[in-house]
Amino acid sequence: MTETTSNMVATPLLEVTNLKTWFPSGRGELKAVDGVSFSIAPGEVLGLVGESGSGKSITGFSIIGLIDEPGRIVEGSIRLEGRELVGLPSHGLRAIRGKTISMVFQDPMMTLNPVLSIGTQIKLALEAHENISATDARQRAIKALAQVRISDPETKVDFFPHQFSGGMRQRVAIAIALLHRPKLIICDEPTTALDVSIQAEILAEMKELVSELGTALIWISHDLAIVSSIADRVAVMKSGNIVEIGPALGVLTKPQHDYTKALLDALPSRAKPGELLLRGSGITDAAPPPRKSATANLPPLGGPYLVIDHAVKRFEKPVGLLHGLAIKSGLSQPVTVVQAVDGVSISLKRGEVLGLVGESGSGKSTLGRIAAGITVPTAGTIRLNGQPVMSAGRSPKKITTRIQTIFQDPFASLNGRMRIGDIIAEGPLAHRLVSRAEAPEYVKQWLAAVGLDPTFANRFPHQFSGGQRQRIAIARALAMQPDVIVCDEPVASLDVSIQAQIINLLIRLRAELDLSLIFISHDLSVVRRLCDRVAIMYQGRLVEEGEAGAIYADPQHAYTKRLLAAVPVLPQAAE
Amino acid sequence: MRDTPLSRFLEEFRRNKVAVGAALFVFVIVLIALIAPLVTPQDPYDLAHLVLRDARRPPGYVGTGGYTHWLGTDSQGRDLLSAIIYGLRISLQMGIIASGIAFVIGAVVGCAAAYIGGRFESLTMRIVDLQLSFPAILLAFVIAAILGQGRYQLILALIFAQYAYFARTAHGAAAAERQKDYVEAALSIPLSSWRVVLRHILPNSMPPLIVVATVQVASAISLEATLSFLGVGLPPTEPSLGMLIANGFQYLLSGRYWISIYPGLALILFIVSLNLVGDQIRDQLNPRLRR
Repeated sequence: MTETTSNMVATPLLEVTNLKTWFPSGRGELKAVDGVSFSIAPGEVLGLVGESGSGKSITGFSIIGLIDEPGRIVEGSIRLEGRELVGLPSHGLRAIRGKTISMVFQDPMMTLNPVLSIGTQIKLALEAHENISATDARQRAIKALAQVRISDPETKVDFFPHQFSGGMRQRVAIAIALLHRPKLIICDEPTTALDVSIQAEILAEMKELVSELGTALIWISHDLAIVSSIADRVAVMKSGNIVEIGPALGVLTKPQHDYTKALLDALPSRAKPGELLLRGSGITDAAPPPRKSATANLPPLGGPYLVIDHAVKRFEKPVGLLHGLAIKSGLSQPVTVVQAVDGVSISLKRGEVLGLVGESGSGKSTLGRIAAGITVPTAGTIRLNGQPVMSAGRSPKKITTRIQTIFQDPFASLNGRMRIGDIIAEGPLAHRLVSRAEAPEYVKQWLAAVGLDPTFANRFPHQFSGGQRQRIAIARALAMQPDVIVCDEPVASLDVSIQAQIINLLIRLRAELDLSLIFISHDLSVVRRLCDRVAIMYQGRLVEEGEAGAIYADPQHAYTKRLLAAVPVLPQAAE
Repeated sequence: MRDTPLSRFLEEFRRNKVAVGAALFVFVIVLIALIAPLVTPQDPYDLAHLVLRDARRPPGYVGTGGYTHWLGTDSQGRDLLSAIIYGLRISLQMGIIASGIAFVIGAVVGCAAAYIGGRFESLTMRIVDLQLSFPAILLAFVIAAILGQGRYQLILALIFAQYAYFARTAHGAAAAERQKDYVEAALSIPLSSWRVVLRHILPNSMPPLIVVATVQVASAISLEATLSFLGVGLPPTEPSLGMLIANGFQYLLSGRYWISIYPGLALILFIVSLNLVGDQIRDQLNPRLRR
């Protein structure tokens, strides 16, 4: 042991050389990781950054030996304190996994077992590497929870995963990862699924914990700003290779490689509000086809257009006859009512972009759906240019086509069994905006307008990437020739560079078509870039509303201040 | 090659050799059943061709007609091979027609219940659940007994016994699809309810229905065989496989095994193949079983 400790300074904790992890696919090999080399000193924090498909997660999985069949490490070596891990039999790997190297995954809901209490799961993790009595295990579990700042750990240790919030679950996952005092923790996008303020807390705690325990950390993320706030060194990955590696500040302020530069330039926080993002263009877009519907009786730009008045949305499960009787007689608990939107009044001026910001559960999406005429409000009115958006009566229906919606997940929002052309043409045909004969040409024009090849019309959605699908979704919304578009987190599931392209597309189309947008997002930097006005939602209510510049410069409400403080920021180069 | 959902499906199907074999077998059987009069040595229903002297002859016997009875003959001197092929033809007809109609009824009921929701959904789905709580054979038996013997009566009985499976499946799938973003996207255009159900929800609810359909065709055939065996199915003038088995049943212990065994074997082979194909389709269409 003394020998290894004395060598510690000289030899790195982990040394990866020329690592190649390939997956055989229908057409040859998919080279997910293709010659990656780096090393980590004990106690060092390395940020591994890249877009989806860059191989950053596979690199992490390769180190801990969790590559799923038929994928395999074809070449290279991974040395942990000088010991080769590649080619180690599975029981050898198991002895290391969780003890010397541990891992924290993106979705804590997926990694925690829903039917076991937290205490039991921690006990199992302890028993994997040591003999421990039940009472000792419980004490260790309580200590571990206290270490990750979970309040009242004596009670919480008997909780089940579903009794925790997302942030708490991720804390539990981190506590489990820290149990055996590993020398290295690999975190694979651990805060991506969390709200900004929770993310900021976890980042700060993680930073403290690793420096306290002297644990080395590999932090895998797509977000440069997050990585810059935690990592000592940053490695940028692109198509299975590390294109740039170096001290965090150096890489992020003086990037050497073109790809790193492009990645940084695509960040919305880097550009000035209202301007196109630097590296977002890529594809040249054609002008959109001329509008057919009358625009004569619209209010002037800047006049109030879409008016939401005291919108309320309660979600409650309908009570059946028997259940109702049971509640009345006191046998059953009354149904819990969720007040998603609690009396919100806001108006959208014609031609403006209104940012609707809030964390998950704030009711921003529900408000957006009410505005778009998808969700029927429990109370309140929504009027577009004085006309109601939904019909009256017992089962209201949307009666206007002037408001359209773009959804968050372009993989879910397109019908996979229809061709792109049919998806775009369906609405306009049903509402007679175009005739059947005109439809193919109309579709082509819109595909060109959103920067897609017009010949794509007879392909199916699965043949497109996420960014392309979102363009199709935009074309579908715009083909209805709306005046208002409700965008529900339209770039949240896209890579940074794709995100920039879509934002640029929205900025351009908005100007060309005089569109008014409601832009729902949790990403404050995107909102800053795109929106004229910002409304902050918290627990179903509007807590602050005003000009974007004013709110960002001088937030009034305590929640807004907290939200803005939690946004991770990139170090700026001194110029 | 064109990349459509169908072409991807076929591409994946081809990888399971057992399923491909079963599919080929099913295809050959269906083909033979379709062109039965051209391939059978004898028309088993034409009484003029039946010679009582040839009755109950073992397989390989060369009869009065001058051709070999490869699978022997039954108690009326019918060539068993021909009878089995004709029997398959009738069984297949019954299975496909009954399952097809049950499919349509079930899909409509299930999708409508899932889309409309509320009281309509509760009412229809409770009826379906009630029906599912009885064994299909019992329901079919009762209906067939009430309606009496005959082709249409039997089809009605089979539909009644089977539509509930389709309705339950369609309801489950459609209720899941109903929640998805693309349906919301269609409603936010807005498109009419009819269009949303027919063009969006129904096509996406198809995969589990197709899986159920392949299994249900097989089960309709065995149901029909069972009913015919029990004497409440098809009239003796249209002998399906079930009736052939029933006819040979009494000779089973006297050593004349072929009259019952061969139709039974044909039935088993066909149903197993259909189920193998159905299994593979289910594996492919159910994303939860994906590795």
